[in-house]
Amino acid sequence: MRINFWHISSFIISLFVIIPILTVFSSFFDNTSNYYKILKDTFLMEYIFNSLILLVSVLILTFIIGTGSAYLVSFFNFPFSNFFKWALILSFAVPPYIYAYSLTAFFENYGTAYTILKNLFGEGNYNQSIPKFDGLLGVVLSISFSLYAYVYILARASFLYQSQNIIDLGKNLGFTKFKAFYSIILPAARPAIVAGLSLVAMETLAEFGAVDFFSINTLTTGIYNSWIAFDDLAFANQLSFFLLLFIFALFILENLSRRNAKYHFNTKAGFKQKQKIQLSGKKAFLAFSFCFLVFFLSFLFPLSQMMYWTIKFPENLFDLKIIDLLMNTLYLVILSSLLLIIFGLISNYGNRVNKNKTLNILSTLSISGYAIPGVILAVAFITFIAWFDDSVIKNLGFVSIKKVFIGSILGLVLVYFIRFYSLAYNGIKSGYEKINISVDESSYLLGYSKRKTFMNIHIPFLRNSLLFVGILVSLEIIRELPITLILRPFNFETFATTAYISASEDLLEAAAVPSLFLILIATFFIIVTSKYILRDNNE
Amino acid sequence: MRKISIITLIFSVIASSFAIANEVNVFNARHYKADSELYSKFTNMTGIKVNLINGKSGALEKRIISEGADSSADLYITADAGRCGAMDAKGTLQSGLTSTAIKNAVPKSFRTNKWVGIAKRARIIYYSPERVTGAELSGMTYEGLADPKWKGRLVIRKSSNIYNKSLVASLIKNNGKAATAAWAEGVVANMARTPTGNDRAQIMAVAAGEADIAVANTYYLALMLSGKKGAEQQEAAKKVKAFFPNQNDRGTHMNVSCAALVKGAPNKANAVKLVEFLLTPESQEHFTNNTFEFPMIDGVSPSPLVVNNLGLDFKQDMKTKLASYGKNQAAAVEVMTAAGWK
Repeated sequence: MRINFWHISSFIISLFVIIPILTVFSSFFDNTSNYYKILKDTFLMEYIFNSLILLVSVLILTFIIGTGSAYLVSFFNFPFSNFFKWALILSFAVPPYIYAYSLTAFFENYGTAYTILKNLFGEGNYNQSIPKFDGLLGVVLSISFSLYAYVYILARASFLYQSQNIIDLGKNLGFTKFKAFYSIILPAARPAIVAGLSLVAMETLAEFGAVDFFSINTLTTGIYNSWIAFDDLAFANQLSFFLLLFIFALFILENLSRRNAKYHFNTKAGFKQKQKIQLSGKKAFLAFSFCFLVFFLSFLFPLSQMMYWTIKFPENLFDLKIIDLLMNTLYLVILSSLLLIIFGLISNYGNRVNKNKTLNILSTLSISGYAIPGVILAVAFITFIAWFDDSVIKNLGFVSIKKVFIGSILGLVLVYFIRFYSLAYNGIKSGYEKINISVDESSYLLGYSKRKTFMNIHIPFLRNSLLFVGILVSLEIIRELPITLILRPFNFETFATTAYISASEDLLEAAAVPSLFLILIATFFIIVTSKYILRDNNE
Repeated sequence: MRKISIITLIFSVIASSFAIANEVNVFNARHYKADSELYSKFTNMTGIKVNLINGKSGALEKRIISEGADSSADLYITADAGRCGAMDAKGTLQSGLTSTAIKNAVPKSFRTNKWVGIAKRARIIYYSPERVTGAELSGMTYEGLADPKWKGRLVIRKSSNIYNKSLVASLIKNNGKAATAAWAEGVVANMARTPTGNDRAQIMAVAAGEADIAVANTYYLALMLSGKKGAEQQEAAKKVKAFFPNQNDRGTHMNVSCAALVKGAPNKANAVKLVEFLLTPESQEHFTNNTFEFPMIDGVSPSPLVVNNLGLDFKQDMKTKLASYGKNQAAAVEVMTAAGWK
């Protein structure tokens, strides 16, 4: 085995990302205090039960919304179908916790719905008849309407590359539209849909803001609370262990679902461009209504609620240091995405030039950071630094390094790195897979060094993939809440933290302004880059 | 030459991080606009910069504890005596808030050497005058919330809420753990709905007819009445009335926003100065008029909105030491959870 720069750097990156995961597991067998033993058992059941219900409901809802809308815009022409094609991904701009604020603001007693009814029909006691979307139902709706876009994007991409041939096949067999959808189109898109759903599942299990806002106890908030309310890191780690079991079960299920079926697509030869079916009359209206409803509920509704409050309580607009918040947010976004892209590239290239088993296993493990909720990563990071500082650094006689990592931009960006490394690694990997290895060989034959091959050949080839990774990471960081909340330095706020803090202090109206700006910035990002997200020409 | 300048740069960066700045680092769990106005005023007066890290109490406490002796925290400011007491119990605070200015301003049961109250709030009962008669309320106590006559008529927040923990901790201090455990079961049996929402949502539930009585802090109603939260909430606030429990015995349960001196505080003297500043009549008046809390010191009156709508002449519980809220936190969580209080 030859040791070189690429090898060592991929090794170090992978090791670094795995540290918090190991921290979680290492304390699994620590004793927890007995005092709360009985209470803990009750809690544990509640956490597991809530997480399961949440997971299943969100998966069902995102499947229906995501696949349904993707099917309509990919196979049919109806009024505004081209608009919906990209408008339906705007829901990404609304994180679940902001959706939760909007739901509450609209439906609570004396909320926006009440105001509307009063203005329409005059005084009256409407509060009793307005449905309340809080608790578990509120969380399910908030997460589903924010995350269905994962399913939508992947399902749509897959529908797009279904050849006209297989649809004709259905027609020849005399299938109805529903039967064709059910028994041909859907199964063919299954890997894409399952991939989308597993992203949704991971985000749901990791969700903190909305779940915390409605004070529903899931495994993730349970971990956070047992760490905080019970001072019981060991119990927190045991819960994390259960959560990780959940996540591994998901991984296995996804893999199993793929194993039984083999998917052969002849993308080049024999591919026949689909003819979109023109809908008219009632059918066109129904298709339009479905897409509009999804667009309205997922994007227009939270956007207008936040706008309404910003206008109704304008003093909050002037109290906020918008420029500072914007600069802080952009600073984090740029720094983290650059780091992630650079190291994602190095690691991928290292794997490409070194066929080495240990390195491969390490890289596979290191992408699991995305499966671990941000709250837990942040806690594990603090635990690790505190331990390392007390038992290693100080024993060697050095000055404490805690302040360098806890409550600093450095620490914050490092934990972002761990959490989002898989997005960068996988995004770049899928780009690399399209560059045939013979390209490298030709380049070496022409006398290019490894470095020159990397800089002059790979990077230009990967430009689109890198841009796509940059966008994904940026959107995640703009919305990110728990890591930023726990690890940020003094006097440092982002739109997300400002919104969260106001909301947690009963000042939901004041949360509207930062929420609105967060939505607007994210929307801007999405619109500017929508063609890379949708990738109509998959080259 | 280039090397030298790089080395100088590195040294200056390191040096600057060790230089003693004229500042005070506040881990802040109170996020009122009024507070930041007061901090800027303090900086203008003294030249001491106030650095803030905002967050929820739990996360801030954890960070102080994890950072241990190396923590940069000077003061921990939060809206619940129970949290200050709990931090004290974990040995993360130091004594030092002992200046005469502080001792003269704050009554004994509202401070220790390590933390002091900076503004008061009462946790009281709100009722619907349409559906609750004077006779039903007469002599009402916190203990009386467990009375079966309130079955299906009571709303209160979740058991995880810090104000509830402190209220229940004070009941444990006064009535013992066994009695409070039975009480918690009675309260759960009386609930009109599974606990949801914040204090304001409890008051609005009474206004909207979902329940007849609610338990919430005093300043919310004043905030709603002030119109700062819009016409609808003002309208709702007018449909409920405030009632101060336990007037015939120990008095109404009081809680404070408190400032605690963190062990190893790098700017201890500045921290003490900031606390003294928050206890001046000017600062106290600023609190009462903006956050609608009760003043900590004598000689400042609460906001007219609080006085006119809640009444001023109520008996505050000055007997139960606030330090007991922290001591009984764990027991409070235990009795509430055991009773099935969500």
